[in-house]
Amino acid sequence: MAKLKLNFSEPSHVIGVSLLIGGVIFSVYELVHDPDIFVTTLLKSLALGSVYAILALGFVLIFKATEVVNFSQGSIAMIGALFISFMVADENLPIVGFFWEIKNPIYSLGGPEWLMWTLSVLVALCFAAMLGLVIERLAIRPMIGEPLFSVAVITLGLEIVLRGFANDTVKIQYRNINAPWGTGGFKIGSGFVNWSYFAAMIVAAIAFVAVFFFYRSRMGIAMRAVAHDQEAAMAQGINIGKVFAIAWGAGAVLAALGGLFATQPPVRQTGAVDPEVSLVAFRALPAVILGGLDSVQGALIGGLIVGTAEIYAGQYLSGQTAWLGSGYPLIVPYFVMIIGLLVRPYGLFGTPEIRRV
Amino acid sequence: MRKLTKGIVPIMALALVAAACGGDDDTTSATDAPVVTDAPDTTDAPDTTDAPDTTDAPDETTAVTSPPPAAEIATDYGVTDDIIRVGLNADLSGIFAPLVTQIVAGQEAFWEIVNDNGGIAGRQVELEILDNAYDVPTHLENYAEMADTGDTGVIMFSQSTGSPHTAATAADLVKDNLLAIPLSWYSGWADPSIGANVMELYTSYCLEAMNGVEYLAGANNATTIGIVSFPGEYGQDGATGAKTAAAALGLEVVYDGEGAVVPGSDQTPVITELVAANPDIVWATLNPTTLAEILGGAYAQGLRAHWSGNSPSWNYQLLATDLGPIADEVYTHSTYTALWGAIDTTGMNAVIDGMRAKQPDAVLSDTYIISWTEGMATKAVLEQAAANGDMTRAGVVAALQDVQVDFQGLAPDQTWSGEPNDFIVRESYLYDVDIASYTAGATVSDEGGTGFVLLEGPYVGDIAANYDFQGACFVAG
Repeated sequence: MAKLKLNFSEPSHVIGVSLLIGGVIFSVYELVHDPDIFVTTLLKSLALGSVYAILALGFVLIFKATEVVNFSQGSIAMIGALFISFMVADENLPIVGFFWEIKNPIYSLGGPEWLMWTLSVLVALCFAAMLGLVIERLAIRPMIGEPLFSVAVITLGLEIVLRGFANDTVKIQYRNINAPWGTGGFKIGSGFVNWSYFAAMIVAAIAFVAVFFFYRSRMGIAMRAVAHDQEAAMAQGINIGKVFAIAWGAGAVLAALGGLFATQPPVRQTGAVDPEVSLVAFRALPAVILGGLDSVQGALIGGLIVGTAEIYAGQYLSGQTAWLGSGYPLIVPYFVMIIGLLVRPYGLFGTPEIRRV
Repeated sequence: MRKLTKGIVPIMALALVAAACGGDDDTTSATDAPVVTDAPDTTDAPDTTDAPDTTDAPDETTAVTSPPPAAEIATDYGVTDDIIRVGLNADLSGIFAPLVTQIVAGQEAFWEIVNDNGGIAGRQVELEILDNAYDVPTHLENYAEMADTGDTGVIMFSQSTGSPHTAATAADLVKDNLLAIPLSWYSGWADPSIGANVMELYTSYCLEAMNGVEYLAGANNATTIGIVSFPGEYGQDGATGAKTAAAALGLEVVYDGEGAVVPGSDQTPVITELVAANPDIVWATLNPTTLAEILGGAYAQGLRAHWSGNSPSWNYQLLATDLGPIADEVYTHSTYTALWGAIDTTGMNAVIDGMRAKQPDAVLSDTYIISWTEGMATKAVLEQAAANGDMTRAGVVAALQDVQVDFQGLAPDQTWSGEPNDFIVRESYLYDVDIASYTAGATVSDEGGTGFVLLEGPYVGDIAANYDFQGACFVAG
């Protein structure tokens, strides 16, 4: 990551620093004034930020390996969550009721409910990975060497096809996830904190640590080499197709995890999959751009910043809808992204390209 | 930077394309208005007596003669000697898709039964179904295709999903002489200047809200109310009705969230304000997912108000989710029709028998009542047009003035002639949401329930009964 050099003759830098200072002063004031609400809002925003970070990480993994922004990440998230629902609620995966059913044997083994749920989710994530692999093999790999815009449009088409499939064929309607933490939580003064907030944060932490170590493995290094220069990597004997497949498989797993938490508070209160789950990936897109499309740490920081900005703006500007408009929380992530890009055009942690003049 | 540029360029390009498409409000309606020939004078339509002999077909008209021979019926678009093409411009993938896909499936079953029994005027009914994705530009594109005077043209719409969507086509419906049944209960449809060719079924959001608030306030001894709604004809029509009732009842509106709820947005601002206002009752005009988010979020923060809302706000399948126990405790469902198995009438038995015969594996749902009533109304007006000897588009529009639909207990009976105050429906139905009456995963073939216990219905409160209709409760600026 290149060091940030502040230049106060740049208006964007002044705005960015002013907002940062204003945010700190505001936070200290609110912490003193109403600590209960401030703390519960902080936990809620970290939870939403974690969900965005998980989804952003999926975007980044695929982009780093293939230089493609995967617009179908939302639908993959929805279908991944659907896999989880089938595995934990129906205890089988009807592929998809057309050919055969794949029984989930875990519940028949017995054991603590939370353990069976967790293992079933892991099985569902394997199916999500397979979905990613199939998409990569059928729709992406044939496009190697073709214009990136065409590949991006293909992913957009996949988004529509997958969503249509889920809506029309599977007819998903509030399919329960049966998360072991439920809708429960605890109160801090007049604020309420759901257990799902902590689950999202823990899973995000695990995902980022796993990716951190993955990039230090042999395959991870190969993936970084491909990301740096595909032709040079091929010349060194790296199997680019395999790297692409792993990136898409891992991206689909992260999307499925994002889909899982998109059914939980603070994103949803139903704890169930519905067609709107797919839209959460688009809410996470500003986090990806803000953090830097090719940066793992950028996905984390970008997700947390965007989640925090959205929740804090929602909480503390709720009395200002007369002039802000009622939909302002939708705009906040993009506003933050624009400010961030003005200060660092390649994203907070994105790789700047050095050009010869 | 290279990668970033490569990544951002497609995003920006797609955003620009999306923005360009979204901003295009031009309606590409059929340019060739239908030319109606040999249409009989509908003002001289004969007084009618008995319905055509369709023993097993859903029979709802109370005043239709047998149609003249097929060759004597005037036709233009959407009708041939063998078929009648009926359009559905329906939300199959947007925010109301979970409800609308079921309604469309129910209509398919309804028309299958009608066709099995000989169809209408000796013709089989074909459905032309297009997905509007709850998107106005897409709705307009679909409309243009179905209003076409060629092979894709339809005789009328048995469903047009969405208030702003149907409003966007209202002028074209008049221009094209097409009749549409809206899957929308906007109060403006009864106003000839807004919905001249819109055949609204049941009551409106506005009157439904008046009934709902009056009932809810009385049942809970409420003195304060909170109102949450989407912006637009749906949300603000319901919110206006709720405010009208609140004013009449002397309820203090402690949170006015009319138009404050934007779908897809984080709802923290609304929840925060609502919880701070702490109303006794809340009226919602939302969709089920957004209702779940706000109701669940407010409940988690300690709000124990009693809730109800316009019919599309609720989906009984929410009872299968984490919200189920909360809804069981605090939510009263308001709607326009009888619900699955709640009554024992000819109409209800026809729906249940029909769905079991044609779609035995379909998910158990109350939405099939809407399918059936939409179908019954469409069939009634088409049969009336056939009886009048005029199955042109204009003939179908004219037939609306002659038709009276007996919904056989599924909903209040309706006519569409005279002044709006004479024919608008003022009754609605109120149900207690009861998780014990809900059968998860049931199909129409099972003896399951959709989680409701009838409280009142058909119910009309004093406010709605005495409401003087002078136009739409809400008109978008």
